[in-house]
Amino acid sequence: MPFGPVHPSLKEPEYFKLILEGEKIVQVVPRIGYVHRGIERAAQERTWVKNIYLFERICGICSFAHSLGYTQGVEALTGFEVPRRAKYIRVVVAELERIHSHLLWLGLVGHWAGFDTLFMWVWKDREHVLDISESITGNRVHKSYSTFGGVRKDLPDDIAAKLKPELAYVKKRAAYYSDLVQSEETMAVRTKGVGTIDQDTARALCPVGPLLRCTGIGRDVRKEDPYAAYDEIMPEVQTRTEGDIASLLSLRLAEVLDSCRIIEEAMEKMPSGSFKTPVPRTVPSGESAFHVEAPRGELFYFVKSGGRSGPERVKIRTPTMANILTATEMLKGRTLADVPVVLTGMDPCFGCMDRVAVLDVDKSKEWSVSGEELRQLGIDYYGRGRR
Amino acid sequence: MNGLQVVELLLFPGLTFFVWLGFVFDWLDRKTSARMQGRRGPVVTGPFGILQPVADFFKLSSKEEIIPEEADSFVLRWGPALYFAAPAIGIAFIPVVGPLGILAHPLDLLFMLFVLSFSTLMAAMLGYASGGRFSTIAVGRLVVQYTSYEVPLLISMVTPAILAGSLSIGGVVAAQASIWYVFLLPVAFGIFVVSSLAELEKPPFDIPSAKTEIVGGWMTEFSGNTLAYVKLTKSLSYVFLSALAVSLYLGGPGGPVLSSDVFVQGALYGAYFLAKLFAVGFLIFAIRTALARVRIDQAARLFWTVVTPLSLAQLAFAIILR
Repeated sequence: MPFGPVHPSLKEPEYFKLILEGEKIVQVVPRIGYVHRGIERAAQERTWVKNIYLFERICGICSFAHSLGYTQGVEALTGFEVPRRAKYIRVVVAELERIHSHLLWLGLVGHWAGFDTLFMWVWKDREHVLDISESITGNRVHKSYSTFGGVRKDLPDDIAAKLKPELAYVKKRAAYYSDLVQSEETMAVRTKGVGTIDQDTARALCPVGPLLRCTGIGRDVRKEDPYAAYDEIMPEVQTRTEGDIASLLSLRLAEVLDSCRIIEEAMEKMPSGSFKTPVPRTVPSGESAFHVEAPRGELFYFVKSGGRSGPERVKIRTPTMANILTATEMLKGRTLADVPVVLTGMDPCFGCMDRVAVLDVDKSKEWSVSGEELRQLGIDYYGRGRR
Repeated sequence: MNGLQVVELLLFPGLTFFVWLGFVFDWLDRKTSARMQGRRGPVVTGPFGILQPVADFFKLSSKEEIIPEEADSFVLRWGPALYFAAPAIGIAFIPVVGPLGILAHPLDLLFMLFVLSFSTLMAAMLGYASGGRFSTIAVGRLVVQYTSYEVPLLISMVTPAILAGSLSIGGVVAAQASIWYVFLLPVAFGIFVVSSLAELEKPPFDIPSAKTEIVGGWMTEFSGNTLAYVKLTKSLSYVFLSALAVSLYLGGPGGPVLSSDVFVQGALYGAYFLAKLFAVGFLIFAIRTALARVRIDQAARLFWTVVTPLSLAQLAFAIILR
């Protein structure tokens, strides 16, 4: 049975071929590449600054994590020190984004499990977080906030007073939801023991982020390789051992609470001073690799500079790319009814993940296709269809 | 059948009345769940958006109808008429403005059992005839669900009949003149509501039409006019089952007699009936908004291990009470 590329429960096009025996899933074959946008290639044509805004558009949810990964990667190349205040502000915005991403996911789980009320409630509460984001950065989603040498503008004066009640509200709601998803009977039977993954499978398939932490392996880039101000404000790495969807729910909600704490701490310790140091427009040639903990897990940026006005090569590895194999593994042996809930467990972002490779499996040959060839391919394909 | 009966059947309190009630139910359903979810629900068409379901119906019926190649086009085109017939006939036996329904018969409760089964059978037929993969899986689920909720549904319909000592809806309504059966048999009433949710494919038992799993369920391949009628049938069934609950457990249109005038008292009966109907409706809206969808195996287990034994116990209780 086809699951996608156009399916009511998939918000982005991706194709999963499900081989079923009755309702039971025997095999899952994912096929990616429906929304490949060629962003890595496009980045090579643009200047360093323009690329910040391009990379933000990779993901509509963790856009700040992308710009953070890229700007910090480039900062590592130039060797410029970012002011402490900017580092703190970056932490605040990154954690706000984590809260909003996790809440968005929680709502989607509700929707995919057929519990639309949860979806509506959570997304309504998420608006509070987006409002704070807007008052800090000027935008709700694509924040365009992190830039080379700091952040684009300073925190507004009244932000501390604004943040306090909103964070208290978010904390209250997150505690309520983590109680709700456990006590609500229909929600509990849909998530407990569903899509279980053990540590050995996790080690073999290398998932990242919450999907890895829910098996008991407490890896978090913020803790292991602190960037921005995470060396001064330590996140508490949340782990669960059950490895099912229910543990993902409680884990992500615990992370929301922890993010609230981090923001509060960062606001308290917020150093004064400049929020941006001027940086030169040229980047010396060299290579740098940088990773950040996006809401969905480790986000990896490799930047290579040839001394031009733009990057020579940027390689991005998004968390969904790392998680998709694990998700298909989690599906095996489950029933069709579990597909939406399990697939959503990794918080998929197919648009971020899509890659295309042209290859001939029989001849084990791989090659590149030029734009002109692609165009001709399309003309031939649709021309045949019309006749 | 005389002329008055034909008018009653087609207009009031027959088909037209119940179809409009179906639209109102649809609107109330959307409005209630929207309020519970912190939304506003339909607001544009008509006062408070009350005409939205009507607008939806006419818009859908004017759309292009696509019949898939592998589908049985005759069944797909005319099957919805049979599907529509089930609740459309059923409502003629519901007492609305008097102690008896339009087509009241001493054994009409048995006929109701048939109507309910027929409706599910038609849904299964339509699903199979449309030939898609999603529909096929949905019909499998529909049948499994049907075998699990049918027994408790039937028992919870027979229980009040045993207590009343009558197999007619009118008889059951008349027997509730002193006390409504919902107070004597609260568990059976609960079972009836739960089984109705399964019959209507509403959460937590919307398994055969689970949008996020199998797209449109057995209705996936329907479009345009036929889909409009299938959806209309669903809202009509909504009203029909709620009306059955009112008749069997809430005393039907019964209530205080305030006037000797036949028409005034008839209008009062109608008002009592509507008030009870909306009460049952709100109960169903609230349940369906507050719960997540269960899996088919979980639903079957719930019905066979919990609901069916409970309904049998309630049946035994009714026999003892009698």
